[in-house]
Amino acid sequence: MILDPREFRLLDGLRLNPRKAFSGRVRGERLTRKKGISIEFADYREYSDGDDLRHLDWNVLARLDTPVMRTYQDEEDLAVHLLLDTSPSMDFGEPSKREQANRIATALGYVALAGGDAVLPRAMGPREPDVRVLRGRAGFPRLAKWSQTVRPLERHREDLSTSIRCFVRAQVRTGLVCLISDGLDPEFPAALRTLAGRGHELWFIQVLSPIELDPDLEGDLRLIDGESGAAVEVTANSYVLKEYRHRLAEHNKALVETVRRVGGRYVLVKADDPLDGFVKTTLKREGWVA
Amino acid sequence: MRVPATFLWPNRVDEVRANALFQRLRPSWLLFLQLLALLLTVCAFAKPQTRQQGLAGEATVIVIDASASMSAVDVRPSRFEEARKLARETIQSAHPTDRIALIEAGPSPRVVFPLGNDPARQLFALDQLKPTDAEADTGEALRLASALVGSIDGARIVLLSDGDFDPVQNFSRGKAALVFRRIGDMDDNVSISALGLADSATGRQLYAGLRNQSSKPMEATLTLYADGKPLDSIRSGAIAPHGQFGHTVQAPSGAKVFEAKIDAPDLLKSDNYAVCLADSGASLRVLLVSHGNPFLERALALDPRVTLDRATEVPAEERGSGGGKYDLVVFDGIDEIPVKARGVLTFGNAGDSSPVTDAGQASAGTFVSAEPKALMKGVDFRGVYIEKQHRVTPKGTGEVMAQTSTGPLVVASQTPDRRQIYVAFDPLQSDFPLQVGFPIFVANALDFLGGSQSSDTLAVRAGVPFMVPSTQPGTLISPDGTKIDLKPTGSTIVIREAKKVGTYKLQIGSKTKTIFAYLRSERESNITPNAEVTLGGGQVKATISPLRFADFWRPLALLGLLVLAGEWWLFARKS
Repeated sequence: MILDPREFRLLDGLRLNPRKAFSGRVRGERLTRKKGISIEFADYREYSDGDDLRHLDWNVLARLDTPVMRTYQDEEDLAVHLLLDTSPSMDFGEPSKREQANRIATALGYVALAGGDAVLPRAMGPREPDVRVLRGRAGFPRLAKWSQTVRPLERHREDLSTSIRCFVRAQVRTGLVCLISDGLDPEFPAALRTLAGRGHELWFIQVLSPIELDPDLEGDLRLIDGESGAAVEVTANSYVLKEYRHRLAEHNKALVETVRRVGGRYVLVKADDPLDGFVKTTLKREGWVA
Repeated sequence: MRVPATFLWPNRVDEVRANALFQRLRPSWLLFLQLLALLLTVCAFAKPQTRQQGLAGEATVIVIDASASMSAVDVRPSRFEEARKLARETIQSAHPTDRIALIEAGPSPRVVFPLGNDPARQLFALDQLKPTDAEADTGEALRLASALVGSIDGARIVLLSDGDFDPVQNFSRGKAALVFRRIGDMDDNVSISALGLADSATGRQLYAGLRNQSSKPMEATLTLYADGKPLDSIRSGAIAPHGQFGHTVQAPSGAKVFEAKIDAPDLLKSDNYAVCLADSGASLRVLLVSHGNPFLERALALDPRVTLDRATEVPAEERGSGGGKYDLVVFDGIDEIPVKARGVLTFGNAGDSSPVTDAGQASAGTFVSAEPKALMKGVDFRGVYIEKQHRVTPKGTGEVMAQTSTGPLVVASQTPDRRQIYVAFDPLQSDFPLQVGFPIFVANALDFLGGSQSSDTLAVRAGVPFMVPSTQPGTLISPDGTKIDLKPTGSTIVIREAKKVGTYKLQIGSKTKTIFAYLRSERESNITPNAEVTLGGGQVKATISPLRFADFWRPLALLGLLVLAGEWWLFARKS
């Protein structure tokens, strides 16, 4: 299992807390901008595992011995797009960035499902989501399976910004976009602006390996880009390493600025950071979840 | 090398920066390791040395004193075993590249293991060493050691001894260092310093003398034996330090072997026994009158009966007639004069008392004949080159034993009071001393002049080689029952194996000779360990634990190699 029971307990009871309100397609548990009485009863539906017990109709349960959920007409679901970077660069480091990204995607998807949101997982690149919309806790097994098996299709191997632009052009439902990537693409800030321009709220979780943040190289080296295959010859010494760190800091600074300007959220997670820290520090303390 | 993205890396190599003539040194682990490896390599090439304690050097000769005094038991179990133990520890603690040789400093020094680094075989050779009850030729052993390592830089000669030996002359250690490790710390010893027979008005007297060699009073019980039977026993009482005690008893007529034993709480047992023989031919005091003839000296000394003195002229008290100090006088190229001795052997210049009349020198002729007498047994003059021969004529009882075409070569004379042999050439003007027959002729001459045939009983000093005329192989049975097979050389058997005090049996054919080996040596009985010895004219002090310089470049070179390997590993890992 990609998450252990202790981490599940940590995530239980949390709900994603986007800054924007989005219109939903089915009745859900989120307030919309449509006017109405938020507590007005609309209909019943069958209870499914993981549903919020607060909306269980206890009277019906007592009389008919059947659990049914009460839904309200002015509460709609939230579309949560889980965009997971599956490019070759995510395999770098020990542990790899891909493992950390999968765990974070799974955790966010679990919180969204438990909160009654619609989860649309997608590997960066393909025009269509890999799996259909997932709802409720019953959808978590499929989400977990997806996160463990997701791989980019060979025909869709393209750079990160191109993948984002493909996603933007796909005319997907507006909602919360949780982008989990290393962001190592010089065009990435522009791609993020494009993404936010479609009305999505952007949450960008940047995953980097410790050795990327503080490389330990020395000597004359020929560096080959893991994705494009481009080669760079450097003499790794303190000057070059200092310049590398400077460039990385500048790149990350541009990413942070872009996300801030589009009203999104940003966090940098190291590949070897425990998930506990991400949940407690980022999700809870910074108000990503409620 | 693959990286997630290359756009963050500056496309720059060092050559760009190498344009600057002076740059600030950039810290680099690889550079540090390379410099460290270089430093270690340079240090290794400088061949640094460390001071270590230990007897062994890079090339070491261990000389183990195997003389009688090393059998003293003040160091348990004995001084010799202590020396063996030190040698064993030295071999075991030697470095793998150290070469060690072993020399036994016995009566005849020998190399028991040549210079090498095979500890197993060295220890085996060391275990084969045995102490002797003889005087050691330590000087010769040291000269042998110097010949082995004297030309090697940093070599070392280690002498494990109690220092009880005569000053060594004609010794040079060359480039080798000399380390003397003293063994022993006490001097308690009482020895038999004299045992002899003397005729007196009351008959034959047996005299025994004891000497207290120690620095404190000691006492001993002296027991005398005649032909194995107790004759007398007496307690000496306290003998003063370095004092003597003498005892005389009437010797029974007819007894041939007289022995003396002492029982004393001393540290050396081998000098607590002595023997003397009553047979007149059993011991001969010989005076060699010569300007120097090592061949003749060696041939005379080989006879166990001979006690040899040397002189360039006859002492005044030995001239004339009557009873003298010497049994025999040998004139070697010196004019013969009348002497008191009962036997005279003359080479070359005859005198009035000679059994020949000398008519001057002439070229030697060819060998003609020799008489089949005991004197000429085993002696062949046919191949002998003689440069000049005295033309002589026998007179009186003179009898020609050998003759060349020039005239008589060997003339013997025998009267009730005196026996004489005249040889008509100087041995050093011929190659006779180099012939096998020379020592045989000397032995035959001693038999003739001593007035007896080879005795069945011999008394010899332990460790001193002696010869017995024989053409058959023999067997020597040691006091402990060990049998040693002996083969004759020419017509004699040379016996070197009687190195321990005691009674030996020599079996040749059906005949058996009894040989009494004894230690009567003032030098060996004085077991006081010496802290200083005189070697080659200089004093050498005893050293407890000498220091040595040991090469230290190998660990440095190995460390440099390891650093270089680490630098390579780091480079490979970072690349």
